[in-house]
Amino acid sequence: MMKKFREVILLLLLLSFVPHAEGTRYSLPGKPALTRCRSPEKETFTCWWEPGSDGGLPTTYALYYRKENSETVYECPDYHTAGKNSCFFNKNDTSIWVNYNITVVASNALGSTFSDPVDIDVVYIGEGDVEGEVVLLLIIQPDVKPNPPEKVAVTVMEDKGWPFLRVSWEPPHKADTRSGWITLIYELRVKLEGENEWEMHLAGQQKMFNIFSLRSGGRYLVQVRCKPDHGFWSEWSSASHIKVPDYFHRERSVWILITVFFAFIFLIVSWCIHINSHSLKHCILPPVPGPKIRGFDKQLLKNGKSEDIFSALVVSDFPPTSSSNYEDLLVEYLEVYIPEEQELILEESKDLHDGCLKPKGSTFDSDSGRGSCDSHTLLMDKCGEAKDDGRQTDQDGSQTGSEAQRQQAAWEQEALTYAHEDMISPDMSSGRVKTWPSVFSPLPQYSLSPLSQPSSLETAKQHCLSDSLFPPSSLSSYLTQPGQSTKEALRSSCSDFCSSNKQPLLLHPQPDARHQLQARSDVSISSISHKEAPAGLQLPTVRSTEYVEVHTVNEEDMVLLHPVPVGHSHGKGCLQTHQGEDYSKVNGVDKNNVLLLQREVMEEQVDMCPCENKDANGATESYCTSSAQKSIPCIHTALPVQEEKAVNGYVDTATMFPLPIH
Amino acid sequence: SLVFIKTTQSKLFLNQLISLLFMLYMVAACKAVPISDLLDRASQRSDRLHSLSTMLTRELDSHFPPIGRMIMPRPAMCHTSSLQTPNDKEQALQVSESDLLSLARSLLRAWVDPLLVLSSSANTLPHPAQNSISNKIQELQEHSKNLGDGLNILSGKMGPAAQTMSLLPYRGGNDLGQDKISKLINFQFLLSCFRRDSHKIDSFLKVLRCRAAKMQPEMC
Repeated sequence: MMKKFREVILLLLLLSFVPHAEGTRYSLPGKPALTRCRSPEKETFTCWWEPGSDGGLPTTYALYYRKENSETVYECPDYHTAGKNSCFFNKNDTSIWVNYNITVVASNALGSTFSDPVDIDVVYIGEGDVEGEVVLLLIIQPDVKPNPPEKVAVTVMEDKGWPFLRVSWEPPHKADTRSGWITLIYELRVKLEGENEWEMHLAGQQKMFNIFSLRSGGRYLVQVRCKPDHGFWSEWSSASHIKVPDYFHRERSVWILITVFFAFIFLIVSWCIHINSHSLKHCILPPVPGPKIRGFDKQLLKNGKSEDIFSALVVSDFPPTSSSNYEDLLVEYLEVYIPEEQELILEESKDLHDGCLKPKGSTFDSDSGRGSCDSHTLLMDKCGEAKDDGRQTDQDGSQTGSEAQRQQAAWEQEALTYAHEDMISPDMSSGRVKTWPSVFSPLPQYSLSPLSQPSSLETAKQHCLSDSLFPPSSLSSYLTQPGQSTKEALRSSCSDFCSSNKQPLLLHPQPDARHQLQARSDVSISSISHKEAPAGLQLPTVRSTEYVEVHTVNEEDMVLLHPVPVGHSHGKGCLQTHQGEDYSKVNGVDKNNVLLLQREVMEEQVDMCPCENKDANGATESYCTSSAQKSIPCIHTALPVQEEKAVNGYVDTATMFPLPIH
Repeated sequence: SLVFIKTTQSKLFLNQLISLLFMLYMVAACKAVPISDLLDRASQRSDRLHSLSTMLTRELDSHFPPIGRMIMPRPAMCHTSSLQTPNDKEQALQVSESDLLSLARSLLRAWVDPLLVLSSSANTLPHPAQNSISNKIQELQEHSKNLGDGLNILSGKMGPAAQTMSLLPYRGGNDLGQDKISKLINFQFLLSCFRRDSHKIDSFLKVLRCRAAKMQPEMC
């Protein structure tokens, strides 16, 4: 009824206006349309519409609604609360779970226009699907969009020295969350002042939230919003500003502590390295082994003169004779030297008494070619052994000496006597450690009174010494018994000689030895006297070889030697291929009382001759010419055979024939 | 050997006793689950239920024939509209807890059959998003069943008044329609009815939750 009445009035108005307005065209208002409806708390809601064209005339708008199960049309109770073109439904007018059919009418003088009706259900009011003009039935989802949370409060609190933000808020005052009618969930966001990125945090249903990991001294902005369980997010609350206090000094102190700690560790480590620098160096850079050549002077090398270096090498010890250390070369040997005039020089170089120096086995150089000079060690053993051995040695030595002498029996009778005496005297001194008594080449004129023990020994030494020191020619001087003075002169030199060198037993059987000995002795004495201090060891030159053979052994256990003519009766074909001197040594005494002699050639290669053993009452002479370059096999008497290696090819009968001890 | 047997027997007996005590304890502990927790779980399920139904209606609406909207049946035609439920907040807050629970249970029970119809119809639904709709219907059924079981347990704890239920039979039949339009329209109508009812259930349970959680205000 009301509607129709209004329409009539509008038409009349329009008709009345028409004849008057020729220039202006008025029309009905355009069709309005509901745009959206919203309920903030599911208790009230508001709807907005969009007006159409007004048609040139003042237009009024009205909203009418009808509820689900009734036909009663109600008009909007409140057009003003929510602003223009809106209709606000209060609690009394709001029913939930009830469909509303809403229509908006635009009216002007000419008429009114109706909008399309819209069905809404307040409960699930969402966004309005306002699309298309020709929609008769529109299901509008009015949005339940709550108001933003209220009373957002941000405070700074501390947790064990580290600050954090505590944000608290309250739900919008209209939303009744306490009864559970509306359930809100919250979300907040934080950012530093001046930055663009927000940090979002979902807080759920709680109304309080803690934010950690703050920058010291920073200014932060915090905002909160909320959403009903089946609705839309509200707008963000207004930003709350907060400033975090500075706590960098705490951080700084931690860094200082860490720095100090690491500095301390560093100091300790460097000190440890310094302490162990040497071993570390040794570990990391192992020392390069230097050259180990005897006589090699590193200093010379460093100085850089190669000539000096090599000359030093050449000069000194190699081949080691006697200059350096006589003690190293303790050797027992029996020297028989026969000069060109066939003098027989029997020497026993080694005076054990004086030569029995402390063994220096360590310095013994077997490479020098005198490896067979195990008499050296024998000497040492003798030093420490009982007198019996010494005595035996003496005896053997004497035998050896006797052997040598026998070769020149004729002229050596006295010499042998002398030697015997010599030998005896050492016997008398058997208490002392000694090697063989020196056997001097006998001289007829030598009626040696029993020399004092030391003197005989010294003489032996002298002989030894002179054997090596002096040229062979002068060696004959040994045969002469120098006077006491000369003896003493020789003593020192001989002692040196004895200690340092192993001298071969020189056997130079020469028939004319005696005479020549005699002749020479006078001559040589003087020469000897002059040559007290030998400049250096000289090896005896090579002389013609003459061989001696054991002739007999007299009852005094003297071996009488005969010179053997060259070239025969060697039995086994010993060759004499050189004119060198032979230094034969008594190698030892066989178990069958065979006296073993070794003869070898200095500096020349000689074919090996098998040793010849001759039985002569238990004393034999076996001599070999051994091809020895420089090696001098030693003769051992009455001593256990030393395992000296036969170097350079000469026969070391010592090893072959172990000496008996009797 | 007698002693040995006795000891083994006593051990067995001891073991049995221990296991029995343990079971009793577990039962007691289970019963001691507070109602607020149960309601919380129930309201979570109902929330999920309503979200699913909302999504379904929107999905269906995306490709809905415009004419369908015109001839959509009115919501008063839902088979659950006969149930008297509060219409606003004041009314809802005046309802007792057992009544609220009873209402929720009744509504939920009323949708067991229609959901079956929906799920069967979803397989042949002439809609481009038919697959997604079908999956959501499946999920709806699961959640509905779980929620029903939970509410049954709750009603047992809340007294006999909570046990009463209203029957709301569905008389729509197994078939939603012969032609495509009617199928879609009926499908959409059912879904809209379900959406409303799920919202009711959710609201009631959340009101109940807040009432039970007096010691835990953060629940509300």
